[in-house]
Amino acid sequence: MTGFRRPSTVAEAVGLLAADAEARALAGGATLVAMMNADLVAPSALVSLAGIAALRRTETLPDGSVRLGAMRRHAENAVMDLAPGPDVVRRAAARIANPVVRNMGTIGGSVAFADPGADYPAALVAAGAAVEIAGPSGDRAVAAEDFFVDWYTTALGPGEIVTGVVLPPGGAGARSAYDKLVRVSGDFAIVSVAAVARLERGAVAGLRVAVGGCGPRPVRVAEAERALLGGGLDGPAAAALGAAIAEAADPPDDVRGSAAYRRRVIPGLVARALAACAAPLEHAA
Amino acid sequence: MSALAVGLTVNGRARAVLVDGRTTLLEALRENLGLTGAKRGCNQGVCGACTVLLDGRPVRGCLTLAAACEGAEVTTVEGLAPAGALNPVQQAIVEAGAVQCGFCTPGIVMSATALLRERPGASLEEVRQGLSGNLCRCSGYRGIVEAVHRAAAGAKATGGKA
Amino acid sequence: MRLEDSFTVRAPADKVWAALTDPATIGRCLPGIERIEATGADAYRAAIRVELGPIRTVFNVQVEIRDQAPPRRMTTVTRGEEGTRASVLSADSTVELDERPDGTTAVRYASEVAVVGRLGKFGLGVMRKKAEALGRTFADNFRAWVEQAAAA
Repeated sequence: MTGFRRPSTVAEAVGLLAADAEARALAGGATLVAMMNADLVAPSALVSLAGIAALRRTETLPDGSVRLGAMRRHAENAVMDLAPGPDVVRRAAARIANPVVRNMGTIGGSVAFADPGADYPAALVAAGAAVEIAGPSGDRAVAAEDFFVDWYTTALGPGEIVTGVVLPPGGAGARSAYDKLVRVSGDFAIVSVAAVARLERGAVAGLRVAVGGCGPRPVRVAEAERALLGGGLDGPAAAALGAAIAEAADPPDDVRGSAAYRRRVIPGLVARALAACAAPLEHAA
Repeated sequence: MSALAVGLTVNGRARAVLVDGRTTLLEALRENLGLTGAKRGCNQGVCGACTVLLDGRPVRGCLTLAAACEGAEVTTVEGLAPAGALNPVQQAIVEAGAVQCGFCTPGIVMSATALLRERPGASLEEVRQGLSGNLCRCSGYRGIVEAVHRAAAGAKATGGKA
Repeated sequence: MRLEDSFTVRAPADKVWAALTDPATIGRCLPGIERIEATGADAYRAAIRVELGPIRTVFNVQVEIRDQAPPRRMTTVTRGEEGTRASVLSADSTVELDERPDGTTAVRYASEVAVVGRLGKFGLGVMRKKAEALGRTFADNFRAWVEQAAAA
């Protein structure tokens, strides 16, 4: 007999989860219910986050950062008005699954599950985002790069839930790109690439590139990114960045592709993402 | 041993079901309420055969927990038109003969109905995008997409009523 | 799936062999082992806890050493299940020890592993990654334990 609880505050939800190690937080259910259906998990109780208004709160902070509530659905994030730079998250959300699943899945649930083939993790790392967490010991925030720890493993401790995601402003001249290699529209990525670049008078003033689907966590090589500063988003330094990411990746061998195939396509996808950042800003989303 | 009582509106009628925390909406509709239009295909949210409307939005019945639907409004394929009638999407699919085994059809009708409410004059590409979460193993999709597109044009003409 | 790896232990082959066939040593070196015991001269039974994100389960396995040429080579057959046969596992392995002139021993293993049932169903490439990580941790623990015992 699986229980079902409907807390109305974050504190109540945290209390319920901390009190029962076999209870699980329920966000959109797109992943958790699928796993229950496949008999892979059997929670003692479900703690639904759907009734917690604070988890839907979305706001622009004084420094221009945008905070997205954890219970925002992919469908909402996919059409959200975000400035260039943080808009990489909108691009990623629009590629998740299909319109029906996007009506159910949430950014908090997706981030907490940390599927290596999901769309948000690489986008959040490229955006320099932070993940907000609430738990028995209080609230904290963790940089996205540090939040994704291992295969399906995050920095969340017992009783902790994701309460939101904070996207820093892109800055002047910011651009973003997101793409993923899939054989079936909406599938989990074979390889995904998220890029956020800042251009000043045509030269790279900032660059973050993260690759998903190729390891336990999004793959990023900061030293290789720095080599593009002051130059363009193409050329030998750009090619070296793609090669460095392919080298640093630890891709799986699975039904969607071999590790060797994933390594092989990384440089081409990175080059395309950089070229997309270099293209003029589109005027219709 | 089911112990959770859930009250929800299904196809305009107030209903009550007794479920377990892990009972899906799909199971509650089919087993508790006898509404077998929504189908159990993959039970993983991939195939779309279980698609229903929850508070007006298309969702996967197999990934929705019945216990999470307290107070919600659910529409299934049985509730799209009064008994004996067909809504414009259903009508267009019948006229096009865009059904083979029929297993995917209720899910497709639900996704398409939701799409047309959102985008009455949906283009072919928008129809394909809107139906991208519904798998059909029989037909190759073309007849379905063209039928829904015709219904979309009709919906635009009649001011968006699907 | 085929898993193979190798590692070197600074100890002679007969010591390495003895440790590899000692359930107590395996029990302290293999992460997740909850219970391990010999059930015969060349047979063992073990319960191994496995975690994959939110999935947590315990595999109950039986291991039989088939052909053996101590201290150089053995083949083992492993059969197991979890969740009351919700998944079924089988693994056929070969372990080879190669003592070098400097007294160190290279350990090479190759396993053909099949998992069917609820854990095998989703083509999880991550299962291979987890198995490889398990193998590496075992190698580190085993090497440390045997070298420390050999030095004593």
